[in-house]
Formats: sequence, C-alpha cells, structure tokens
Amino acid sequence: MDFAASEPTAATAPPPMAIKILIAGGFGVGKTTLVGTISEIRPLHTEEFLTDRSIGIDDTSAVSGKVTTTVALDFGRITIRDGLWLYLFGTPGQDRFWFMWDELALGALGAVVLADTRRLQDCFPAVDYFEQRGIPFVVGVNQFDGARRYEPSKIRKALGIAPEIPIILCDVRQRESVKEVLTTLVTYAVKGVAVDPDPVG
Amino acid sequence: MTTEGPGPLIRLFGLTKGRARPDGEPIDLVAIVTTLRMPADPGDLIPEQMKVLQVCRRPTPVADVAAQLELPLNVTRVILGDLRREGLVAIDRPRPVAQAFDERLYREVLHGLRSL
Repeated sequence: MDFAASEPTAATAPPPMAIKILIAGGFGVGKTTLVGTISEIRPLHTEEFLTDRSIGIDDTSAVSGKVTTTVALDFGRITIRDGLWLYLFGTPGQDRFWFMWDELALGALGAVVLADTRRLQDCFPAVDYFEQRGIPFVVGVNQFDGARRYEPSKIRKALGIAPEIPIILCDVRQRESVKEVLTTLVTYAVKGVAVDPDPVG
Repeated sequence: MTTEGPGPLIRLFGLTKGRARPDGEPIDLVAIVTTLRMPADPGDLIPEQMKVLQVCRRPTPVADVAAQLELPLNVTRVILGDLRREGLVAIDRPRPVAQAFDERLYREVLHGLRSL
C-alpha cells in the first residue's frame, strides 16, 4: 500500500467508474457459472425488495396488506485498474421481475444473451428486450456436453437477429472462452461492429 | 441471509425507519460512493452507517456496498441517502457509457480483459 502515490495523481486521474454488463438468458443456461468463471471474487450477492413496485406485476388483489418478497441479485467484478471496474450482473430469470431488468439495463454498456441450443426459445425474451431498447448485445451459445452442435448461421436464423450481432460458441466454465465473449461484447458495444477480438487465437 | 420468519424484516424496517426510498436524488446501482469525512461524534451513527464510511474510504459502487453490508439494495440506498444528507459521503452518478467510452478507455478495458 503506497498512500503517498495516490495524492499527486488525484488531480489528473479520471474519476472512478463502474461499467455495467448484463448476463441474460433462460433459467439454467449458465449465467451464474459465467460470472463465477471470470469474476475476481466469489459472486457478490444482494437482494432487492419487491414492495409497492410489484403492483401490476404480482397479483396481490386477493391478499390483504402489502406483500413483500425479495429477488436475489448476484454479480461479479473484474478490476481493470484502480478505479475502473466491470460489473457483471446476472438478470433474474423469472418473467415477473422485468422491472428489475429496467434498473439493471439503465446505463449498461451491453449484454450477453446466453443460449442453450436444446432450449433456444428460452432466450427469446432477452433478445426481444435488448432489441427493443437498443442495448447492444452478443449471443453466447453455451456448448453443453452432449448437446447437438449447430452452425452460428442456423442459430442466427432461428433467433431472427441482425447479421451484425455477434454469435459466439462458448463454454462458460472456461475462462478463455468467457474472456472472448466479453471482449467481443465490448468491441461490438463500443465500435458497433463485430470484430474478431483475437484472430490468432 | 434471508431466514424464515419476520425477524430480519423488522430489523430492516428499523434500519430505514420504514422508508422504501432514499432521501434526495435516486441512487444508481453503480453510482460511486466515496466517504468525505467521519462524523464528529461516531455515536450518532448506527453500525451499518459506520461500516459504509469505512468501506467507502476507497470509492465503491453502490451494489458492492450492499453486498459488503449484506443488506438489500433498497435498504442500502436509504442508508446511503442519509449519509449523503449529512454530508458524510459523495455519491457520483455514473457517466453515460456513450460519453465515457473514448478510444483510450476502450483499449484499457480490452487490454485488462485479455490479461486476466
């Protein structure tokens, strides 16, 4: 720890910044595994209360009094340098927590939509959500053991997404694979193009 | 952390005095919290507030503060709102990504990811 060094740079160093990236997809597709694979810390956990905002989402009409439930929020952190972090937020899987997505999506750099070819339809809601809001996203096709492999072009057709949206075959248990997914997303979100992040690899 | 029964909820209700939202401006999930000063009389603060002030000596995003306090996000926000009102912490709204991301930042993030 060198405290003296932080003083002279304080005036010139950019303000601390946390960049938000969302990890979306159907239940059991590997969102938490992805976050755990790349996060420098065990995924952090907090909760959000559902109180008055749940009106219209949860049907509380048959219940007297206010209903309070919580939704778990797990996330991971990658420190790029002191004062610059990537935060990876897994989106809640259940449809009734859509309001939570709005908060998570606000100001996000972009999203990874994880897909499982055995249940491709599970990621349709996430694709629709990000398309409608103009939030850049890439599709990560998690290669489950024993699942049939498909060409990205077939997956693109099945999902009905634009040709420029990157589709990456990945294994969310592998660090290098998750790094490729994230670098592809960052490049796509910033440059608006799909660039092979590491042509030699 | 959540257990059966009303115990934790009553405790949380007490922490926020029943408020569901923080005083003042809304607090973003990744707004950066920085401790400005310690209170003249630490006895005025509840343990959770003291913990925030300790954690945020290093600038820390809101979601991370909540995780470290092991408290729900909304409860954490209410606590942060009170500390802000007392002038003990600064809460900096995140800059819009489109403005913040210049070539330098992009290269930095890409390099950081690749060297993991």
